[in-house]
Amino acid sequence: MSRTDLTALSPLLVVALAAVAVLLLISVRRNHRATATLTLAGLVLGLVSISWAATVTPHQVAPLLIADGYALFYSALVLAAAVVVCLLSFDYLEQRGEQREEFYVLLLLATLGGLVLVGASHFVTLFLGLEILSVAIYVMVAYARSSPLAAETGIKYLVLAGASSAFLVFGMALVYAQTGTLEFRPLVAQLSAIEGSGLALPGMALMLVGVGFKLAVVPFHMWTPEVYQGAPAPVTAFVATVSKGAMFALLLRFFAALGPGEARPLLVVLGLVAMASILAGNLLALLEQNIKRLLAFSSIAHLGYVLVAFLASSAFGDEAVTFYLVAYFVSTLAAFGVVTVLSDNEREAERIEDYRGLFWRRPLLATLMTGALLSLAGIPLTTGFVGKFAVVAAGVEASLWLPVSVLALGSAIGLYYYLRLVVVMLSSLDAGAATESAADSGRTPADPGQTPAWPRAARVGGGAALALGLLALLLLGLGLYPGPLMDVIESSVSPLR
Amino acid sequence: MFFDYANVFVFALGGAVLVFGGMWLGSLIRPKREGEAGLEPYECGEKPIGSAWFRFDIRYYTVALVYLLFAVEIAFLFPWARVLKEALADDAIGGLALVEGVVFILVLAVGLAYVWRKGDLDWVRGISHTPDDPEEG
Repeated sequence: MSRTDLTALSPLLVVALAAVAVLLLISVRRNHRATATLTLAGLVLGLVSISWAATVTPHQVAPLLIADGYALFYSALVLAAAVVVCLLSFDYLEQRGEQREEFYVLLLLATLGGLVLVGASHFVTLFLGLEILSVAIYVMVAYARSSPLAAETGIKYLVLAGASSAFLVFGMALVYAQTGTLEFRPLVAQLSAIEGSGLALPGMALMLVGVGFKLAVVPFHMWTPEVYQGAPAPVTAFVATVSKGAMFALLLRFFAALGPGEARPLLVVLGLVAMASILAGNLLALLEQNIKRLLAFSSIAHLGYVLVAFLASSAFGDEAVTFYLVAYFVSTLAAFGVVTVLSDNEREAERIEDYRGLFWRRPLLATLMTGALLSLAGIPLTTGFVGKFAVVAAGVEASLWLPVSVLALGSAIGLYYYLRLVVVMLSSLDAGAATESAADSGRTPADPGQTPAWPRAARVGGGAALALGLLALLLLGLGLYPGPLMDVIESSVSPLR
Repeated sequence: MFFDYANVFVFALGGAVLVFGGMWLGSLIRPKREGEAGLEPYECGEKPIGSAWFRFDIRYYTVALVYLLFAVEIAFLFPWARVLKEALADDAIGGLALVEGVVFILVLAVGLAYVWRKGDLDWVRGISHTPDDPEEG
């Protein structure tokens, strides 16, 4: 392993080292603030080291990992999301009693898994990255271990993710049986060389099950609402963004290397998956009363939208996928960030009724939530609009008329439930009291100035405020002025094809 | 090409024959003695005492986990130690082999330090029911 190798891997090494350092710190002295600070320092240092790693790109480390512009771009995305989750988690965990410090070790490890995944150029690193990510998430999902819901959620996620990993590994074995290699590039060359695909096609189809589970697209989406609801809000934000984004980065890398002949049967399947995800995700979200479940269904639909750009399988499609993922990261983190800061140690702020009249009580948070929802809905001036525009443009360019029209239909349905939430936040507390009067008749109709029963969380902590301010800036900034990011994305996805 | 899949079915059939055929053969040739002893759970030859439905101490789980960690450490370190001398002599690998092994051991040592500090290695602590805080170690 040369000096160049170490430079190329520096983001991974920094995060891995940070995880060990945090564990050491916990064993020496338990202090929540110190642990969170060290974690944050590790993640920021990881981000900084990306610019150092960029000096040696593209660089292949053994046959296992590749550090090219693409991997580094997604590494930066994963690390930035982890920074936001870390900031949000601090105040969230500060309210809760036991064993807060270990959370940060898990957060660092999960981030490390994501980094391995986006740099993988070999099935072994693919699986290793996926498992580092998943095993850390199993524990994070069940982190509020005193509540029975957390245990239920953890078990559900563990069993389903384990089963999907089994599909993935078996698929890899079949592909290996056919091609005799686990490395992406030789494997793709082998695939195009052999006549008929034999075992490789069913192998890759099985692998899609494992990938589809992580992405939570339609036939493999059943875990999403349950896990989103049961996991602590910052963890939900992490699962919704990092875990899916890293997997998608890998999927894109693999399919971009795959020739059109080998990819076509799989793209047909993925096209059906995309359309089913868009329709099912949006329709299921319509009647949802729990905001975390609503965002879960909406995320299913969003991964369907990204898949439409993915189906275009062109350089422009890759850019659209990447931009959409960035927009999805920003909007989803902002939405779950608001849920996080409104939650208190009694329960999560997850009922739609909790948000009634939020504009009159917490104007800043409500504005940010509105921005995030409008961005998810794809309304102009937000980053989500630019993302959706790019996705549709990529789909139209590749003449994917059916998926694009399903996307348009899905977005129209989606508008309803995003705007419904905005209306709830805008409506006065009186209206809420009137409809709720049967539920709690003791409460007098509150005027807008009065503090309502819920949510009680008094103030937003410094870390969370910083994270939310950053997200608000990105939500609007990338929507109004997407040019520079587009240029960065264009140069970073160029090594793919 | 679909004929290739015949291999898979033959393979699956072979697996089924091996498992169920073995059980069937066993049922043919083994002596059949029905009685109380045959229905008891197998406890390595010991006579079972009481029911198996009781609560295990949760600390068995922690200890088993820590044990597993170090069992895996041995599994990795043994082949490493076996080839270390040759690797050190090799110019291409050199000292890196030693460094990587040491890093691996150090990471596990941090894990051990954490478990130790957390008090999961103190077996006696729980028996006396001292109200000490697990966070104090």
